[in-house]
Amino acid sequence: MAADECLGDEALARGGPVVRVYGWTATTVSLGSFQPITAARDEPAIAGTALVRRPSGGGAIVHGSDLTYAVAVPRSHPLGGRPEALYTAFHAALVDVLSELGIAARMCPAHAPAPAGVDAFFCFDRRAEGDVVVAAPEGNSGDAKILGSAQRRLATAVVQHGSLLLRSATGVGTAARHPGLYDLQPAAAGVPPGELADRWLDRVARGLGGRAAREEGEFGRGRDARISCLAATYASSRWLTRR
Amino acid sequence: MAADLRFAKTHEWARTEDDGLVTVGISAYAVEALTDLVFMQLPAVGKRVQAGESLGEIESVKAVSDIYAPVSGEVVSVNAALPGALETLGSDPYGGGWIAKIKPDDAAQLAALMDRAAYEALVKSQPH
Repeated sequence: MAADECLGDEALARGGPVVRVYGWTATTVSLGSFQPITAARDEPAIAGTALVRRPSGGGAIVHGSDLTYAVAVPRSHPLGGRPEALYTAFHAALVDVLSELGIAARMCPAHAPAPAGVDAFFCFDRRAEGDVVVAAPEGNSGDAKILGSAQRRLATAVVQHGSLLLRSATGVGTAARHPGLYDLQPAAAGVPPGELADRWLDRVARGLGGRAAREEGEFGRGRDARISCLAATYASSRWLTRR
Repeated sequence: MAADLRFAKTHEWARTEDDGLVTVGISAYAVEALTDLVFMQLPAVGKRVQAGESLGEIESVKAVSDIYAPVSGEVVSVNAALPGALETLGSDPYGGGWIAKIKPDDAAQLAALMDRAAYEALVKSQPH
């Protein structure tokens, strides 16, 4: 979370979008900014699972079998205006990439019915305009959500992070497991996560009229002091139990 | 939108009351951009803030945004009914949708904020 917030500084320094893509060393649940901590503690499906809290809103996400991304843009950038602009840039690009793989994905319209209601605990049980869905497993009605994103709008930058669910989570109860892209669409399973991320970000960049420039390595290098300061906040009990 | 309001670049409005307190809210533009509001965290009464510092937060379906203090001072009252009636921010952003009242350290800070014409120009220049 600290590194994600630092992306805002980086976006300002560079004058344009900066993206980081990362995985998780252990299954971890990230709560939305104002999700009550009691809801997490009362959810048996994630008992004993590491918990963190995002600075952005939305529902709880089980990380570990997903591809997590964070993007930051200056508020002055065209994508820094209306919230939906940044959502659309990333979500529509994924739909296009999946289409090239022969997978029919789509973005949810506004007020799409949610399997478990608008206030469901888990993000992937909710539906918001722009969420990316694919056909649900055979025998199930409706669609399955595979990509959700959430924003934190700061004074000078917008940070958006999201989770592309690749496979159903492990080490958690049934209620916390949602089928991922690879589970639902065998055609996608042949594309490794790194290649999928590359194709996706290339499409985002092309949609903006540019090209994605890659920098390998850990984002935190060279930003240790700032990230350490922020990490202390995000790791604190006070932050985790803020609501 | 009343002519006596001043505006911050972060879309908060401020109005000096007869008793010298500064009432703070967020603009209609900001509310409309956020769309469906779901949660709001008000500042604590007694909290001291610096101009530009986060005063509270608001969550919509689209995003979580900070609400920034347009002036430095002490929060002396908050609109406690507002989190339970977030629709007021949309229906009456400059009246019933007020968020907090601040006892300012320096009332002259308001002069540094934008007047209505300048704010409307800013809104027109925003990416759409």
